[in-house]
Amino acid sequence: MGKILDKIKNNEFYKLWFKDALPYIVGAVLLSVFQIVTFAVTGNPWGVSGVLANWGAWLFEAVGGSVDRWFYFSSPGAQATLEAGILNYGGSWRNLGIIAGALFATLMASGFKFKKIKSFKQVLAAVLGGLLMGYGARIAFGCNIGALFSGICSLSLSGWVFAIFMFFGAIVGSKLLVKFFM
Amino acid sequence: MSKEVVLDCMGEACPVPLIKAEKALDKLTAGDVLIVQIDHSCAMKNVPEWARKEGHNVEIEEVDEGEWEVIIEKA
Repeated sequence: MGKILDKIKNNEFYKLWFKDALPYIVGAVLLSVFQIVTFAVTGNPWGVSGVLANWGAWLFEAVGGSVDRWFYFSSPGAQATLEAGILNYGGSWRNLGIIAGALFATLMASGFKFKKIKSFKQVLAAVLGGLLMGYGARIAFGCNIGALFSGICSLSLSGWVFAIFMFFGAIVGSKLLVKFFM
Repeated sequence: MSKEVVLDCMGEACPVPLIKAEKALDKLTAGDVLIVQIDHSCAMKNVPEWARKEGHNVEIEEVDEGEWEVIIEKA
């Protein structure tokens, strides 16, 4: 058994496809192809964070809450999506696919590890950063996938506007990071 | 006499390992060795890439599952 595993480990195709990270350009081409497929098949551009907002709504409803009167979920389309349920929503499967795919990739490269949390500062930064990103993505009607990537791919000006302001945001974020984490 | 410095970046996400490695290498002189310990796969890409671009000698060692040491010899 050990011998077979050693053989796989040293196989050049195993290294090429599973062990080593794909080159950036290959990732870019694959992302482009898959977003075209998503757009063509579903009629909607690819998005990630909008799905998370819906997951939040379902979670809130599961514990007895109601989002019927929330402005964000007030459109007939949003209501229909929530009505249909989490498993009848394509976005759910796409996001689950991202998680499962990332797990598969890291397992195939035998790079899976539970990382220890280094400091409380790290937890605080992660929670604050997550809240800010989630909130920002909703008031911008998209994240760097839905608003930026899909926007630009659909030849929409809004994607470029998003890019300019994301760039400024990244500068501020980097400065904060260096200030608090270096 | 060349020095060997170990930089613990376990549990740190991008771009922290890269910036820490840049700063640590700045303090070293040619011939010194910097060992960056990381467990973040994207740092596994950008730390060696940066060091090689700067002209340093770089070796990568897989210490454990999801743990690596990037060994940089300052040029």
